[in-house]
Amino acid sequence: MTERAVAALNPQPADTSVAIAPTKLKVRDLYFYYNGFQALNGISMDIPEKKVTAIIGPSGCGKSTLLRIFNRIYAIYPKQEAKGEIVLDGENILDPGYSMNRLRGKIGMVFQKPVPFPMPIFENVAYGIRHHEKLSRPDMAIRVEQALRSAALWDEVKDKLKQNALGLSGGQQQRLCIARAIALKPEVLLLDEPTSALDPIATSRIEQLVAELTSEYTIVMVTHNMQQAARCSDLTAFMYLGELIEFDETEKIFTSPSKKQTEDYITGRFG
Amino acid sequence: MNGTSKEHIIKSYDSELARLTGEIVRMGELSVSQLEAALDVVERRDERAARRVVDNDDAIDQLEQEISHDVVRLLALRAPMAGDLRNVFAALRIAADIERIGDYAANVAKRSIPLSMVAPVAPTKGLDHLAELAADEVREVLKAYHEQDAERAYQVWKDDAELDEAYTGYFRQLLTYMMEDPRNITPCTHLLFMAKNIERIGDHATNIAESVWYQVHGQPLNKQRPNRDLTSSPELGNLGDKP
Repeated sequence: MTERAVAALNPQPADTSVAIAPTKLKVRDLYFYYNGFQALNGISMDIPEKKVTAIIGPSGCGKSTLLRIFNRIYAIYPKQEAKGEIVLDGENILDPGYSMNRLRGKIGMVFQKPVPFPMPIFENVAYGIRHHEKLSRPDMAIRVEQALRSAALWDEVKDKLKQNALGLSGGQQQRLCIARAIALKPEVLLLDEPTSALDPIATSRIEQLVAELTSEYTIVMVTHNMQQAARCSDLTAFMYLGELIEFDETEKIFTSPSKKQTEDYITGRFG
Repeated sequence: MNGTSKEHIIKSYDSELARLTGEIVRMGELSVSQLEAALDVVERRDERAARRVVDNDDAIDQLEQEISHDVVRLLALRAPMAGDLRNVFAALRIAADIERIGDYAANVAKRSIPLSMVAPVAPTKGLDHLAELAADEVREVLKAYHEQDAERAYQVWKDDAELDEAYTGYFRQLLTYMMEDPRNITPCTHLLFMAKNIERIGDHATNIAESVWYQVHGQPLNKQRPNRDLTSSPELGNLGDKP
């Protein structure tokens, strides 16, 4: 039997680690079940600190599921179960003893569709902070301003902080959601297709923002837009049918991936 | 990793990539016929035919422009990735190499005109052998490109040493003729330039081989190639003294 045939019959798991920075999130043998259906099949990967890791793959491959496990959103739904380990700073965040409040303070998430709360812009950002910390009014004002500045939104909203956030444009709403997430000073920011509902200009703003945020945050981004993964990320993970097929430096994935399935997917030959 | 045999979901993408490959192959075939035609006019001492060869180089330049246009269009509209990206990138580089091969063939034809105005010299025959080696290299590397055969391309890359060696031998032969009779200096100098042009064609064939290797493997061809063109080495100053 040829070497190639042997390799095809015994697929090796994708490399779990691409050493470009210290590991922030260490995922080991992660399995996930919805009502007994297995959605993730033994994922292991090391997500590097203060880098952007993009997760790509066709619909249903498990990429959003993986992201949702990182902050345990699944725990609010019945009959959903994760097995395995996700280690953040030496502690397994899947451990039931790891408090949800503490986890949400460390790992923030922004969703596909901007979901501002129907309240003033200022309150949208302050709401989460109040949940975690007691701050004086001036301290809160400083904190909200910092978050809005980091989210590149301050200049556009500083004169209308009392206006309802629902009056903002889609791109502004999404940056408000990012401001709300970073107001809690998380260590990891999860972005689930953050620009799929936005126009190209708003998309570029968010991408620029992602680039700026890497100086302070570890970012994990799920995207259907491969050009976006190529533009924004340091590492790219390709998932298919609940498995991590390939995980490598973004440049390598998009110029010469080592797995055929990755090549087929990113060149548009899938299916 | 090599590109995949599967078709794209968007069918027109496949036909655009196939068109690009076809253009490269056609351009390459044209450059080989130009080289053969150039050698033919040297032998026939036919000035009008030589001018035709020089004029025909425009067709190769035209094809290169079409390829550049197609590459820019593909990059802008298809945003090729991975194997497709390497395919498009290689096409652009290979087109530039073939364009230079065409120029060198035209140069050989151009120099055949002053050469035909002086009395024939014996070493003109030696040019044929160099041209055959160069044409074989170009034909072979184009096959390698068409079939995406990196090993075949690598063989061309190695075989260029033979052309280098033949060129060094020819250089030595021309020096001897020039020393024997100063009346040979004019025709032999023209022949020397023509031989150098042909030797350069081989170098462009090796460039194409490197592009094919990269296209197939996604890695540069990092190997040491033996260079047998010794004409620029200091020892060659003494070569003319040897029998």
